[in-house]
Amino acid sequence: MQGWDLLVTGFAHSLTSVNLVACFAGALIGTLVGVLPGLGPTATMALLLPFTIPYGPTTGLIMMTGIWYGAMYGGSTTSVLVNIPGEAASVITCLDGHQMAKQGRAGAALALVAGGSFVAGTLGILGLQFLAPLLGNAALSFGPPEFLGFMILAFVLLANLSADAPLKGALMIAFGLFLSTIGINPMDSYPRFTFGTEKLMLGIDFLPIAMGLFGISEVLSTAVAKHAPPVVSGVRLRELYPNRDEVRRSVKPMLRGSVLGFFMGLLPGPCTVISTFVSYSLEKRLSKTPQRFGHGAVEGVVGPESANNSAVMGSMIPLLTLGIPFAAPSAIMLAGLRMHNVEPGPTLFGTHPDVFWTFIAAMYLGNLMLLLLNLPLVGIFARVASIRPPLLLPVISVICLVGVYSVRNAFFDVWVMIAAGVVGFFLRRWGYPIAPFIIGVVLGPTTEVSLRQTLLMFKGDMSLIADRPLAMLMLLIALACIVWRFVARLRGRPPVLAMDEGKAL
Amino acid sequence: MLGPEEADLMTSRGPGLETLFDAALLGLGAVIAYVSWGYGFGSLARPGPGLYPFFLGAAIVVCSVAVIATRAHRTSGGQRLDRREARILVTMTCTFCLWILAMPVLGYVLVTFITAYAFCKVLALEGWRKPLALSATTAAFVYLLFGHWLYIDLPRGILFE
Repeated sequence: MQGWDLLVTGFAHSLTSVNLVACFAGALIGTLVGVLPGLGPTATMALLLPFTIPYGPTTGLIMMTGIWYGAMYGGSTTSVLVNIPGEAASVITCLDGHQMAKQGRAGAALALVAGGSFVAGTLGILGLQFLAPLLGNAALSFGPPEFLGFMILAFVLLANLSADAPLKGALMIAFGLFLSTIGINPMDSYPRFTFGTEKLMLGIDFLPIAMGLFGISEVLSTAVAKHAPPVVSGVRLRELYPNRDEVRRSVKPMLRGSVLGFFMGLLPGPCTVISTFVSYSLEKRLSKTPQRFGHGAVEGVVGPESANNSAVMGSMIPLLTLGIPFAAPSAIMLAGLRMHNVEPGPTLFGTHPDVFWTFIAAMYLGNLMLLLLNLPLVGIFARVASIRPPLLLPVISVICLVGVYSVRNAFFDVWVMIAAGVVGFFLRRWGYPIAPFIIGVVLGPTTEVSLRQTLLMFKGDMSLIADRPLAMLMLLIALACIVWRFVARLRGRPPVLAMDEGKAL
Repeated sequence: MLGPEEADLMTSRGPGLETLFDAALLGLGAVIAYVSWGYGFGSLARPGPGLYPFFLGAAIVVCSVAVIATRAHRTSGGQRLDRREARILVTMTCTFCLWILAMPVLGYVLVTFITAYAFCKVLALEGWRKPLALSATTAAFVYLLFGHWLYIDLPRGILFE
């Protein structure tokens, strides 16, 4: 079976009741999470991962992507209506989206954002559908040196892009990589850092760490923050019509944002957030009336919102073709797939084509569901933003506790989660990025295996890596990134793409 | 508006704790490197189990030193903890721990109810009706979701078995 046949089969699989419910639930929960300030998509995905385990890898993947995707849709609602971004990728939408709302064009802004997100999402899925199998086939020829090169490049970019303090990013990556070495090393069956404890022999499970770092730490951060409930004005369905000029001005930013976001998604780090900032500055630069930006320019709303949706799909490519998650939500997805013994990577398209094609088909359906869900219910979602944290946090906390315990019926996992939560709270507070940490934990075993296999292959002579052009290219790009950062620092100019660590999550 | 006592705490205790955290990371890196040394490096041609973690420990030490050195040259951008925040943080963490300790005795439904109620009070949810209703709903939700829908065998507690 080839191409479209596989997609048709994927549609047949995705139209099962379980997958449809998972798709709808993911989209709905994601939208709610996007609307609610505080709880981000990564935390929600970590929180809900245990619930997807009984339903198989495809259903889990569909639901997780639905949450991530839905959060991109939902995040814009509060940005436009109350000037509070529901999540980090919607920060830039506040600038012009809320200005449009002040001018009585909230409905139009929301409709254009939903339309843009739908178009960008569809183009992103098309890109994923055509590019992922091609890249997956190309990646079949990769050996350990190429994977090692990719890992090193990913870590360097992650440290560079996800934080305004790359040293802290590097420290977090190293710490995450270390955590993955705890337990029996599968290459030589040697127990490391177990200190004679049986519980540590199998290593520290990924899920409690992820739920602690993203779920509990967010609960603690939200709990200590002082909140004033936002005043939300309603939007009626009949107000959702943009005028002809607004539609005309939105088309090009929508398409540019879609393409830009997709390719930004291929970069390590908080791609959805970075793509919005890059799209905004691109639109402002291309505009004939840049002075309108910040005062309700529709291009400044549609471009970034299209970009963040498309970036989600772009970031699925390194995950599915190489098995390397470049962002925190895809790290959670990788962990989820591994729980079902599905290892994403070049062989995925041969060993589990059903997972990939059902996922693609479900994403088309999910994108449509989000459009249908977001436009008519925008008023209700906007009101969700006024729910106070004291009503939400007890429920989230308890679900985290029971959820992590239920995976292996182990109190040890709950202790790990609480410890990770408290550490995560301080990491956030002191500007340490959490995403590199969790990506380090997930990629740790692959990195070690790639490194040791490369050393064995080259008989310890690492200069032989020069004979592997792709691996060499990756290392040279990584080196160039370090030099670029260093030179930018010496000149006193921060790199353009450096993001605020807290927002980057 | 912060009181003078809280303001004092923000300026005095905050940076100390942050530096202590960095120092702890530095120490941890050193311990990782030291313990890895004992596992054996092997050779580059046949790497041993200690080589990779030793490299990571060393990387943690180098990065921590650089972070501490960088902080000495500039004002820290990190936020500090005041007394109200510290109280909430400690109480919530203790409540999480209590959930684990009380679960085998009280069972998951009762302990979920009590924990949810405690969280409501820590988060200053007014009165007793709202916290009570929220805790009861949460406990019922957890019971239905985990016990009836997902069929997960959670401790019912020695009091109820």
